[in-house]
Amino acid sequence: MSAESQTQPQTQHSMLAPTDHDEFARQEFVRSYKEYLVHNVHQGNEKRYESSVKPAFEKKHNRPPKDRFEVAKEMTKDPYYQMFSSLLRTSQEMMWSSCQLPVERNLEELNAKVNQVTDGAVKGSLKLDENLATPRYHKAVDIHCQPGGYHNEFADKDASSGMVYDRAVHIYAMAQLGPYNDDIGASIIMWLQEKYPDFKPKRILDMGCSVGHSTIPYAEAFPDAKIYGIDVAAPMLRYAHARAESLNVPVHFSQQNAEKTNFKSGSFDLIVSHILLHETSEKAIHNIVKECHRLLKPGGMMAHGETPPYKNMSPFDAFMLDWDTRNNNEPFWARSHEIDLHKLSEKANFDPSKKIEEMIPSALQVAQARRSEVFQGGDFGGGGLWFVYGNKK
Amino acid sequence: MTSRKLQRKAHGQRPYFFDDPNVDKLVSMIMGLAGEVSVMHDRADTLERLLQTKGLVTQKEIREFQPSIEIMDERAAWRKTYLSEILRIIEGELEGTARGDLDPYEKAVKTVEAD
Ligand SMILES: C[S@@+](CC[C@H](N)C(=O)[O-])C[C@H]1O[C@@H](n2cnc3c(N)ncnc32)[C@H](O)[C@@H]1O
Repeated sequence: MSAESQTQPQTQHSMLAPTDHDEFARQEFVRSYKEYLVHNVHQGNEKRYESSVKPAFEKKHNRPPKDRFEVAKEMTKDPYYQMFSSLLRTSQEMMWSSCQLPVERNLEELNAKVNQVTDGAVKGSLKLDENLATPRYHKAVDIHCQPGGYHNEFADKDASSGMVYDRAVHIYAMAQLGPYNDDIGASIIMWLQEKYPDFKPKRILDMGCSVGHSTIPYAEAFPDAKIYGIDVAAPMLRYAHARAESLNVPVHFSQQNAEKTNFKSGSFDLIVSHILLHETSEKAIHNIVKECHRLLKPGGMMAHGETPPYKNMSPFDAFMLDWDTRNNNEPFWARSHEIDLHKLSEKANFDPSKKIEEMIPSALQVAQARRSEVFQGGDFGGGGLWFVYGNKK
Repeated sequence: MTSRKLQRKAHGQRPYFFDDPNVDKLVSMIMGLAGEVSVMHDRADTLERLLQTKGLVTQKEIREFQPSIEIMDERAAWRKTYLSEILRIIEGELEGTARGDLDPYEKAVKTVEAD
């Protein structure tokens, strides 16, 4: 059996925008298209680099390119790389469009369904703040090319960006975040439970929770804890709340900026974030770490899940990883992957002797390896590893 | 241009990779087409499987089918969405221009790095 045939479909929870035959087929095509690029086209860049781009550079300069900038100068002129990039950008645009179509077709009805849950909240809660400003770093460009970004609203009490995002993440990750798109949260939990088996957080905050993909597994792993999720974007939170309720998981969502929240100092035992930091800004990332310090109880912990930093990476690998900065509307991607994170922690008064920095295995990948022999090589799709940066207080 | 409820183009300058941006646009159109052909393939596959299971239609009947005026109208409406999918790159450019979404990308990097 091939690795691909083992991909699990996204769980059809009741808030997920239904797709008709052709809408579903269109989304499936984009997933196949992305998989094809990853498995068959992407690797050609390195071959081009090693076989022609780098030798040409060495001939001219008597040395290999010294950093990702020098690699970029040459690679962006290479026709193979140009075609690869053009195809990859197009796949991203088609992904969003294919996820918008079913949402657009039923917008009023879907919004009504989401807001009905919002009005009659059962277990968790939702607090929106109309006056919260959308940060400048979200207005500069629409992050990872989602038209309208996280925050724009296209109808009254709109949750469309959350609906579109929920489906798009599944396609973007080519199902590798699991049927609930929760692998980053699940992986941090798996790591916490193995490394700190006695740590039983009572109050947990997930910063930049989006639609709650990574938030939900904390409620399941720590059933005695109270779980909070904050985000700046109202449409994401409306959907997050409806989704959590429909999955029967109590989470308290509120619209707040992680740089400066209205929680009392020392409110939390555990503060987590999942792929939030790279979507902020230079000032914001400083503020967020400071805010974590203020919000943590002594003995508490912050843990931020991200993709690995650029250090120790070859100039070519760093160049390829940087593709998103310029080409997928991720303007802070490069800088956030080069920043000295532990300096941020020190500036925020964290004790450097309690710092956390680890590469952790993907929970989904570990689960799959346990189920079958097929994945034991550890080369399923992406790296199969997440990077955790954090600190204990 | 077709009217849509949601925004079509992501805010931010769209990168073009070839010396002539029209090549990138062609790539986008071709992949759009490839996607729609794939959708049609799935649909035809669904239908043929259902029909064969139910013993309702033969291959000959499919080959010799003649659409009515009504069917032709419905198919024309379908093709409008179809074309809009293929020409998304052009529509998006127009939408962005109309919105005044014209800032150079570097400005966004500078903004967030200095923010
Ligand atoms: C990539 S998504 C996070 C995905 C989510 N944590 C998960 O694991 O599925 C980034 C989210 O962070 C939010 N965000 C960005 N800056 C923020 C800030 N300063 N405070 C709160 N939320 C923020 C965005 O609105 C967006 O929903």
